[in-house]
Amino acid sequence: MVIRVEARRGRLIIHVLNKWRFAWNVEPRYWRNPLIVAILWICLPLLILLMPRGLPIGPTTLLSALFLANVVSISAIAHAFQTIGTGRLNFGPNFFVVVGGYVAALLNKNYGLGPALTFLAAFGITALVGLALSPLTIISRGLYFTLITMILPFIMHELVYWRVDIFGAETGIPGITRLIAVESMMDYYIICFYISLAIALILLFIVDKIFRSRWGFMLGVINEDEDVAASFGIETKKIKVTIFTLTSGVMGISGWLIAHYYGSFAGTLWLDPWLLIFILLSSVIGGKSAIYGSVLGAYFVVLARDMLRPFIGGLALLGLYAVLLVTLYLLPEGLWGLYRKPRYREYVPRIYVRRKL
Amino acid sequence: MVLHANNLVKRFGGIVAVNNVSLKINGGEVVGLIGPNGSGKTTLINLVSGFYKPDGGRIVFEGIDITKKEPYERVKLGIARTFQIPRLISNMTALQNVAYAIVGSKRFREKKMTLEEALSEAIYYLDIVGLLRKRDVLVKDLPLYEQRLLELARALATNPRFIMVDEVMAGLNPVEADNVAKLVQRLREEFKLTILWVEHVLRIIMRSVERVLVMNEGKIIAEGLPHEVVKNPVVVKAYIGEEVVL
Repeated sequence: MVIRVEARRGRLIIHVLNKWRFAWNVEPRYWRNPLIVAILWICLPLLILLMPRGLPIGPTTLLSALFLANVVSISAIAHAFQTIGTGRLNFGPNFFVVVGGYVAALLNKNYGLGPALTFLAAFGITALVGLALSPLTIISRGLYFTLITMILPFIMHELVYWRVDIFGAETGIPGITRLIAVESMMDYYIICFYISLAIALILLFIVDKIFRSRWGFMLGVINEDEDVAASFGIETKKIKVTIFTLTSGVMGISGWLIAHYYGSFAGTLWLDPWLLIFILLSSVIGGKSAIYGSVLGAYFVVLARDMLRPFIGGLALLGLYAVLLVTLYLLPEGLWGLYRKPRYREYVPRIYVRRKL
Repeated sequence: MVLHANNLVKRFGGIVAVNNVSLKINGGEVVGLIGPNGSGKTTLINLVSGFYKPDGGRIVFEGIDITKKEPYERVKLGIARTFQIPRLISNMTALQNVAYAIVGSKRFREKKMTLEEALSEAIYYLDIVGLLRKRDVLVKDLPLYEQRLLELARALATNPRFIMVDEVMAGLNPVEADNVAKLVQRLREEFKLTILWVEHVLRIIMRSVERVLVMNEGKIIAEGLPHEVVKNPVVVKAYIGEEVVL
């Protein structure tokens, strides 16, 4: 027999020509899945294109939703990383997204910089804003830090209305160069999806590498008990400032993507609490086990909203929040927790959602 | 001299937790620090370890003024501590709890060690305190006695010359307390440590230390050899209540 499949001791073994043998653990918790998931993620647009016509949701809507899911994923990964690395919950991630968006929009519109240059500028300038705000991670913690960061989007909101001549208030800044020049809108959606996916994958790869290194180990200790970390030689202030600065810059990249994808940028729309809730819930719904959960959560949140829309129309957001509340209640370990049973000896820094005293 | 604290003051609102405390500790000494609850013993440890910044006074460690240094800098200079209530990372294993102290240490950077090397070295410290078999157990699953031992192992892993041991026997039964006392003595000899030992279990600490400081209401009210201090009427009145037979 050319190919023989055998199930033995929880493993699926494929024998090819009685010469080669491939074994696969059936139980999902033993799978080494990053590659499989990355391949599935890359194939998503193809699956959408293969969808039968006549469904309540069209392929362009879905592709657009996938792009937004990637944008939320990027912010959620950065936010989860920031939460773990600083031991503090930032309630104003959408502020940094909007800063990045405006940097890209203004530099493109006023100085003619292309998307490649505005990418660097959006990251750099948002990181600088993060650096300026990073002392907050030293002087405040807990609810105090959360409240201070929560004010940031409101300040930006006022600024946008105060300087309408610069930021354009609700109208925003139109006429921004698109991410890529193509004739077919379908091609545009697909290419934009892959650009955002590439950024998300690179970010995931980097953050995963950091978490598995000595830096991740130190971040974990800071997240668990900052005083203990400092008592055992870990330079908490330096690490917190660095993490806050870099992750703020990454959130700015989300804004850059939004500005160049839509071709216009109205900060008021993205300063609205829905984006904040999407980013925060992506981390929690996805699972407390840090970054992979954030991606799952972002996809769940964005797609659930778009899936609900054809069925309940204007009540889609209300329906989404109901679904999210039920999910939060039923899955304290998040969607990631369904897949990944904790490995006893493996320590992965994660966000804590304290439900009990 | 290893440690010299001069006129240390720490206030919390209207309460003066440490009031003009001066102390000198010589290299290789084991000094006991006793006193009633709320007398300022742990606050003094927090001042020396850098957890609190003093409102007045100066701390010099091996000739270096450390008054304004951050806790992580003091660790790198060779000051370590344990906590009255064990403060370990409960979601990490015993091994990982010692390993992060190595990762934060000066030699980790100097020797360009890897995380794996730090974990290997952590095994050595766990073995010293007798927790080698528990290396892969999550801290939250360890009993108090083993958590206390683990705190000692973690402190040792920073490569200290001076350790402040804060009520390491609290909550332990007499046999466990005896074992811990013997371990601290052994560590002192093997690692040539200077120790400041805060304790309430007088009968054990009086046998284990060379000199005793007694604190009450933020001040050092007595100092001397153990058998002298327990007979000091001021100490008997403020803390002991009756003379201790050693």
